[in-house]
Amino acid sequence: MRRSLVITVVIVLLLVFGFIYYAIDPATSTVFPRCTFLTLTGYKCPGCGSQRAIHALLNGDIKGALGYNAMLIVAIPWIALCLFAEGQRTRRPRLYERLNAPLLIWLFLVAVLAWWVLRNIFNW
Amino acid sequence: MQYWINHNGVQSGPVDAEGIKELGLTSRAYVWSQGMSDWVRITQVPELEGLYEVVDEPVTTGQPLQPQNITQVQQPTSTQPVNAQPLNEQPNEAPEPCPPTNLVWAIISTLLCCLPTGIVAIIYSLKVTNKYREGDIEGAKRASEIGAWWCIITIILGILSMPLISLMQLSVMP
Repeated sequence: MRRSLVITVVIVLLLVFGFIYYAIDPATSTVFPRCTFLTLTGYKCPGCGSQRAIHALLNGDIKGALGYNAMLIVAIPWIALCLFAEGQRTRRPRLYERLNAPLLIWLFLVAVLAWWVLRNIFNW
Repeated sequence: MQYWINHNGVQSGPVDAEGIKELGLTSRAYVWSQGMSDWVRITQVPELEGLYEVVDEPVTTGQPLQPQNITQVQQPTSTQPVNAQPLNEQPNEAPEPCPPTNLVWAIISTLLCCLPTGIVAIIYSLKVTNKYREGDIEGAKRASEIGAWWCIITIILGILSMPLISLMQLSVMP
């Protein structure tokens, strides 16, 4: 009961936000929030460009999406798989343990840090 | 992979997966192979799935022999499990699943909330899996809780700060 409520809420939120981000372009609109880290420090954070990337992706512009935040677009299938495993943690502990292997988390950690540094150097 | 088998108190092995099929085992059998820390129910070894008959009655006589009996039955001793005792105490105990690593939430908060604190949450999910694999369930649970708080903090701060910062910028710019 509680489980199905959570899933329903998540799907409704995804649909609502999906529509907002599909319909309005964050690059030209002022209603979308700006990145705190970028505003405060002047440096991009690993998540900068995510809103524009999602807008581009929802409009079928994969190349544009990769240009705004390549890491997010590459990570989306992995995030989806991890979310599935999270919901099935007690039913499929083996899948959960494999996805949460130390090596994979290390790889992601290094990838995020590298992405953070490199995108500020090369202005990605 | 070579397996040692204990079925209804009778020990056999080493055999490979093909040999296990011929033994006509039931799901009450226990297996051990090199690399395992202890005997496990055959149902917990995915590689052996379908090679035994599934019966759902509780285990009554299927407990493995004492370690000293095992070493009497066969050599080499170096490949025997170090300790087969815990199984005799709690034969039906399932291994505890890994506590939540919160990895997905850490990733989502790092990539969507614009705050570097998401990185801390990722480090904590690493801590959870490492402790869990070392067998430190309590430590893993503690790391899991702290990591969850980092995710929550990151997400709340992200949601609160982004509109605030945008408003401040708008009021400065025009």
